[in-house]
Amino acid sequence: MSEKKFDYAKAIAELEEIAVKVENPETKLDDIDALVGRSKQLLEQCRAYLRTVKEKIDSLDKE
Amino acid sequence: MEARNYIDLLELQARIKESIADAFPGRYWVKAEIASWSPRANGHCYLSLTQSKGGKSVAEARAMIWSWKYPLLTQLFETSTGEKLRAGITVLVQVQVNFSELYGISLFIENIDPAFTLGEKALERKKAIEKLTAEGYMDMQKELALPELPYRLAVITSKTAAGYGDFKNHLLNNPEGYALRLDLVEALMQGEQAPSSIISAILEVQEQPYDAILILRGGGSELDLACFDDYDLAVAIATCPVPVVTAIGHDKDVHIADMVAHQSVKTPTALADLFLEAYQAQDAILDRLEERTDNAAERLINREELKLKTLDSNIHRAIQRRVSALEMLLQRSVGRISRGLLQKYAQVAKLKDNAAHRLQFAASARIGQAVSNIALKEARIKATDPRNILSMGYVLVTGKDNKVLKTVRKVASGDRIGVRFQDGSLSAKVDQVWEEDIKKTNIA
Repeated sequence: MSEKKFDYAKAIAELEEIAVKVENPETKLDDIDALVGRSKQLLEQCRAYLRTVKEKIDSLDKE
Repeated sequence: MEARNYIDLLELQARIKESIADAFPGRYWVKAEIASWSPRANGHCYLSLTQSKGGKSVAEARAMIWSWKYPLLTQLFETSTGEKLRAGITVLVQVQVNFSELYGISLFIENIDPAFTLGEKALERKKAIEKLTAEGYMDMQKELALPELPYRLAVITSKTAAGYGDFKNHLLNNPEGYALRLDLVEALMQGEQAPSSIISAILEVQEQPYDAILILRGGGSELDLACFDDYDLAVAIATCPVPVVTAIGHDKDVHIADMVAHQSVKTPTALADLFLEAYQAQDAILDRLEERTDNAAERLINREELKLKTLDSNIHRAIQRRVSALEMLLQRSVGRISRGLLQKYAQVAKLKDNAAHRLQFAASARIGQAVSNIALKEARIKATDPRNILSMGYVLVTGKDNKVLKTVRKVASGDRIGVRFQDGSLSAKVDQVWEEDIKKTNIA
């Protein structure tokens, strides 16, 4: 994952856009490879995001 | 001094006892609030009953339950109402008024009516719900939204509660490996102190950046759930700016805490699932997006492949056609060409023969001509050779300057001249010169 804070919602929106583009029969075959590649990259990042411990907050767990 | 009439204390108390026994011969159903409740080691239970008006106590009485009645009465009450007999609840008790010379008035509790307390509770609950509704607290939490991916969770519970371990394990050790953050905030989950303990826990965490606050009772006795119908607790939940999810875990009825909360579930596992499902939903969205893109890309590629295949076979067929057309043409041409070639070849051979003959002919003619030319030129050259002339008797005369003399005019008497013969030469001295008219002179 990138150093910057990963924007999950933005990634989902981009994935949606890619799906629409790939589904569009006007899209050139030349672009498909790049789109599918980008989609795989985003999917991987999103799936990792769901499974990654985010920034720490102060624990309230009192022993 | 006149001696007064008097009776002793025991006699007085005995008379009171008698009067009371006369005045209250039977058993009476009395409505009262339990002010204190203390079962003793000897099995008897001592309590005090009270009645308040406007927040002030207006009546009080001591009461007791005999040890042989105590288990039966409490069990019946608890199973019927789901609540323990304790201070603070209003009960309808059947009492016998008893006066003891030693202890004074005491009410012996013969019976307790659970239905009354249930009704009271229901009434109280109904009033609380009506009040909360009128004040707009009922739906306040419903207007909040859980984030799509709730991550930071604060759970208010008792650490020792069995349900907490289940919940934590189920949430954090999920098979999908979703990562959530869970903070424990301890509070009393049953008893009289529970509402205020939970309220202070809510106030403590609601200012912090939590995505949700969970209230997990996490097991324990099915009794003593009244705290979750507490009005103040309901207000604290309703006004919490963070979504509150309750898991109080009582199937029989819904508590007010559940009603004012953002959501409520029955079990600790269900509570964990609520959050895990949010993650599963996201995973499903990702899967769908992947499928859409993959399928569309595959369709597109298949379509292009089909196009290519069609093109390929079209080209193949066109080439085939062209090739067979050319082959046919070629075969025909080859036939024609080979015939033509043979003819041409024969022609050329003939031409070649003729040309060779002609060339030979021409060459020999030219050579003959050349030979005769040469002979002629040779004869001419021979004829003009001075040596030939000298051999015929002519001589060459040279002057002083050794040049051939062709005239006598350049010679004077006394000049020395050279005379050249075929076989030698001599020098002479000119004695006399006679000049002749060249036209008259006949050289021959």
